[in-house]
Amino acid sequence: MAELKLIDIKKSYGAATIIHGVDLAIADGEFVVFVGPSGCGKSTLLRIIAGLEQVSGGEIRIDGQSVTNVAASDRGLAMVFQSYALYPHMSVYKNMAFALENMSLNRTEIDQRVRRAAQMLQLTDYLDRKPKALSGGQRQRVAIGRAIVRDPKIFLFDEPLSNLDAELRVATRKELAALHGEIGGTMIYVTHDQVEAMTLADRIVVLRAGRIEQVGTPLEVYNHPANLFVAGFIGSPRMNLLPARLAGSGQVVIGNDTRPISVPSTGQAASGGNITLGARPEHIDVVDENQADLTITVNLVEQLGGETYLYGSAPGLPELTVRQDGQARYDRNHRVGLRLKREALHLFDADGNAIRIR
Amino acid sequence: MTGLQRLIGERRMPYVFLLPNLVFFGLFVFVPIAINFVYSVTGGPALFPSERPYVAADQYSYLFDCGSYVDPNTCREDHFWRGVYNTLFFSLFQVLAMVGLSLLTAVVLNMKIRGRGFFRAVYFFPVLLSPVVVALIWKWILQRDGLLNAAITGFGGDRILFLTEPGWAMFWAIFVSVWAHMGFYTLILLAGLQAIPSDIYEAAEMDATPRWRVFWRLTLPLLWPNLIVVIVLSLIRAVQTFDEVFVLTGGGPGTSTLMVVQYIYETAFSNQVQNFGLAAAASVVLGIVLFALTLAQLAFTQRKSS
Repeated sequence: MAELKLIDIKKSYGAATIIHGVDLAIADGEFVVFVGPSGCGKSTLLRIIAGLEQVSGGEIRIDGQSVTNVAASDRGLAMVFQSYALYPHMSVYKNMAFALENMSLNRTEIDQRVRRAAQMLQLTDYLDRKPKALSGGQRQRVAIGRAIVRDPKIFLFDEPLSNLDAELRVATRKELAALHGEIGGTMIYVTHDQVEAMTLADRIVVLRAGRIEQVGTPLEVYNHPANLFVAGFIGSPRMNLLPARLAGSGQVVIGNDTRPISVPSTGQAASGGNITLGARPEHIDVVDENQADLTITVNLVEQLGGETYLYGSAPGLPELTVRQDGQARYDRNHRVGLRLKREALHLFDADGNAIRIR
Repeated sequence: MTGLQRLIGERRMPYVFLLPNLVFFGLFVFVPIAINFVYSVTGGPALFPSERPYVAADQYSYLFDCGSYVDPNTCREDHFWRGVYNTLFFSLFQVLAMVGLSLLTAVVLNMKIRGRGFFRAVYFFPVLLSPVVVALIWKWILQRDGLLNAAITGFGGDRILFLTEPGWAMFWAIFVSVWAHMGFYTLILLAGLQAIPSDIYEAAEMDATPRWRVFWRLTLPLLWPNLIVVIVLSLIRAVQTFDEVFVLTGGGPGTSTLMVVQYIYETAFSNQVQNFGLAAAASVVLGIVLFALTLAQLAFTQRKSS
């Protein structure tokens, strides 16, 4: 286990800058998830930490020691690749033992470590099999086992579940969470799947275009998104982001409406200024039109059994999504009144930064 | 075509498309093989098979009539056996050198080196040359008054008889053959190297694997199917070697670079007494060896694809 510090990390390929000066400290034993859309630089950042990519600027420290110019093989880290990257001609046992042989451990020690990891990952029955004779989930477990046996300073995971089907992804996600609880190592995990980020992370690092947009615990990031990007990216279905303007202290007018609605506070934002109001689908209630903040025409209803999603439109506003518990019945093209839960609203200024209202 | 298909049925249609090629293939491959076999069991100087007396396996008996197979001097047809041993020696060292150098070149050309595209083209270029052209180029370089001796004497050294001393002649025969064909095998190995996923090497790097161990434990086993193809193909080609060595050394000095195919050619067409039957028997023996090697190559290739 180890702590990691990234100081002003930059990465460029020719004229294209991929990582723009990232600063981040990861504590010993922490499970940190890098999340962001495709091309945001999360995998590049992970590969920089691994030593598989050289930095263009900045410093990487592990346990206070600079490893910026240390080769990947000498950093003492282990990585689980998206493609698993198992050695196809070796058995599961050999795949896990390979790194230990490189460490010149004696056979008894290697055998003990491999069998312990295999037991932990329920791979004992498959030790003699080649990777091609395993299912996707089993291969993923072998890749994890190959990392575990080395007892690395930090585990790095590069989208390890993205090649698995939905059901297996959920199961493996739980296993990973349990594994972190069991072995307790420092883990850095890259994903574009926010559900993985929310469920696995001690802290989430949201990245966009090579910059950190926000760092925080999953609920901090969910409840208090730092800006419009994070608000839109974290949460599924995504947060409703509605154009609005301030109509005096604690008063906001949505879209083309004239009726102001009151919010707890509008911070330092100037009256009359354009802002964006954010409301998560679960923070909108369906009410009578005379009590409503706004009225939508229902475009689509999705019944998921345990919950219902309404998609509707209102003049001058983007499509709204509303989540209802249970099996709510609505018809297409019907008008429905909506009321926003005041205590859960988010306001963003004209630059897209959050106005702290709570 | 639709009318024809209706007439003969859909299942027979593929044979209709194969027919033109099969006719030519049969005429110029299968019929000559059969005629060759007829020659090998007949004797005499006559050219037409109908005029040749049947001698059963006499030609084969003559070829294999040896006091000791390891000593060509004890064989009735000692040239054949000298050709066999020369071909074996040539094939062994040519294949070893070919595979080793092709592998080394492919590994280097697979690295991120400056001018990689240029070097890949340069190594492949000799493959495009005719074997006779290759042999002539090297003959001009290696002959007594050739380019290499000019350089050696220019630096004050003594002339070396590269093509007329037995040891040197065989060395250069192997060298020129490797030079001419290694581009092709390098290409096969390069394709194999490029098919190894790069993340396997990254995983090995994360596993702190020393470079030599990466080569021996990862690259070589993963390249093995391609290596087998290269070994078998180059072996087949080495056993068939004729034109390059014939033009370069003429099989000499003496019989020190005489190959089996050259023996067959000379026995049938070049010697004063043209012995078609004996040459045909030697061809059948060589054909059986090549057939076995081809089967081995097919078996390995099929195993690779499965």
